Amino acid sequence: MSIVAIFVNVLLFLLLAPLFEGVMRRITARVQSRQGPPIVQPYYDLFKLLGKERINSAGNWAFKLAPLAALASILAVVSLVPFGSRVNALGGRVDAITVVYLLTLGGVSVLLGALASRNTFAAIGASREMVTMVMVEPVLAMTLILGAVRTHSLGLGPAVFSTAGAGFSLSTGVMLVAYLLALQAFVAKQPFDIPEAEIEILEGPFIEYSGPDYGMFRIYMMMKQMFYAWLFVAVFIPIGRTGLYPLNILLQLLGTLVVFVVIALVGSTNPRLRIDQAVKIYAVLILIALGAVGLAVAGV
Amino acid sequence: MWLASKIKQVLMVMKPGVVTLKYPFEPRPAPENFRGAPHWDHTKCIGCAGCAEHCPARTIMVRDLCQEIRVLLYDGSRCTYCGRCAEVCPEKAIVMTPRFEQATDDRNDITENLELFMLTCQRCGRCYDMETTSAIDKLGLTGYRYDSLEARTVIRKATDSFRPKELEATERYERPGKTGD
Amino acid sequence: MLAKIAKKCFPRSLWVYHCNSGACNGCDIEILNILTPYYDVERFGIKLVGSPRHADVMLLSGAVTRPTLPLVKRAFAAMPGPKLVFGIGSCAVGGGCWFDTYNVTGGGATAVPVNYYVPGCPPRPEAIIYGVALALGLVDKKAAPVELKQVEFPIDVYERNKAWEERNVIYEVLNK
Repeated sequence: MSIVAIFVNVLLFLLLAPLFEGVMRRITARVQSRQGPPIVQPYYDLFKLLGKERINSAGNWAFKLAPLAALASILAVVSLVPFGSRVNALGGRVDAITVVYLLTLGGVSVLLGALASRNTFAAIGASREMVTMVMVEPVLAMTLILGAVRTHSLGLGPAVFSTAGAGFSLSTGVMLVAYLLALQAFVAKQPFDIPEAEIEILEGPFIEYSGPDYGMFRIYMMMKQMFYAWLFVAVFIPIGRTGLYPLNILLQLLGTLVVFVVIALVGSTNPRLRIDQAVKIYAVLILIALGAVGLAVAGV
Repeated sequence: MWLASKIKQVLMVMKPGVVTLKYPFEPRPAPENFRGAPHWDHTKCIGCAGCAEHCPARTIMVRDLCQEIRVLLYDGSRCTYCGRCAEVCPEKAIVMTPRFEQATDDRNDITENLELFMLTCQRCGRCYDMETTSAIDKLGLTGYRYDSLEARTVIRKATDSFRPKELEATERYERPGKTGD
Repeated sequence: MLAKIAKKCFPRSLWVYHCNSGACNGCDIEILNILTPYYDVERFGIKLVGSPRHADVMLLSGAVTRPTLPLVKRAFAAMPGPKLVFGIGSCAVGGGCWFDTYNVTGGGATAVPVNYYVPGCPPRPEAIIYGVALALGLVDKKAAPVELKQVEFPIDVYERNKAWEERNVIYEVLNK
């Protein structure tokens, strides 16, 4: 049964991530008073990208490897997490640090691809992506470490479901605020979509990718968004704790949907910040997250 | 506070709802006086080729097939819909229709071809050669030549009333003999 | 089978790259207009992307000037197939008023193979949306060649005309 859970995880994340992205685009369009694309639009985008020609413009192995590495890392993360409050066969053998490591691996493969592109715009996008990753991954790490401190175990299940294990407290509340503010940076939406979706100002790190490679990066980003939205629901909102596995999954998916609606609303009403303004905000968020972990260590 | 203002912003944008026009599925007429594609009325056209002369993109071409037939071809590929042809036409045979849905995948689709019956002069048939059918070329036959240097060096000044003194000044004008004078 | 799905999804999600090859920016403003909420073209799945490598359709505006001719060709070569080119505005369709000036090579067709032409100066946003809908197959073509005759003539005049037409430059411009 736990092995089936792995496949359920991977399939659900893979198939539903574009749907949530479509919901987000539709809400952004409605906030802008226009009709917007149909909700299944990202599926059309992905299938169309799979049918395009693949141009290997940089000619080196890193260029070809990067999208595969990114997709592999996010699939690994997704197969490990205890979706639906059930720790599956793989999740029982890893701990919270592995998840952070694998997510960082995804970011690093984006950087690899961008720097292998031999394009100035991609290099600028890569440098901004590096800055963002360095400043924002600590908040994720500290969310999981908070769970580990409060449940006294570094395992993935207890670390993620810390509110189930040890109840709500002040440190969890402070961490909730920090995670919520950093959520926009995790999912790369305004006001913090500086490196990735920055096709409007400069080209992002994906400028030289075409066809199936770009499709792989897009599904990587969509699954990353869904993972972070789900993580918020799993760590801080105590729904989906009933004993029934399908009901858990459904409740957590609904929670993820609500989080996506909030992301879309915040994203469409905010401008994009410059990298130096964003770094100042990230620094404050790291301090708040550290404060929450400190409170948890102090036992509050 | 920041959060309150953002919530207010979200509520504010709900008011107009969705303003998108359902354009290709519902027709949307052009406003009045809109200059779309020109259309010739072959019953009124006299074949003077004034439109061909004045077109800035030279997209109206005139040719004589024989003594009696003049063919006028409007090739809409370069037309900028400026309306000069309609303005200049002495018979008001050209009207700028409000047609703007001219997208096509073949440039031969936006053409209008007119065949006009030209009467012949009683004395000699048509009084001008088949090849020189435009007004500029006809002027070349009667005396104004576009390579006339004397005509080009006279700089005319416009005055609101006739001043004979200005006219004297132009009569004493001398062309420069060599460069550097 | 994946190829079939990809082919079916292609018209529903066209990503557009806007290339200005020496335009006066009138057509560029109209292209920007169709992305606004009033004429929203994103409901067809069309998105504006900044890199030709991500794009399916190149919106070419402007008469292709001499300095931009190699650049337009490079941008077109950078796009992965299958790809389309739309020529927006009279300048891209045939060179506009400036088709034979010293700096203009004469319209989009001299640089890249143009698939759909949207004439106008600048074309109304509705005209551009009409062109897009025509490419997607949602509407029928409305432009058709018009022939008007004052009198019908006997046949031999047209036969004589054919010989003259062989040497004629005017018709060559049109049928290129």
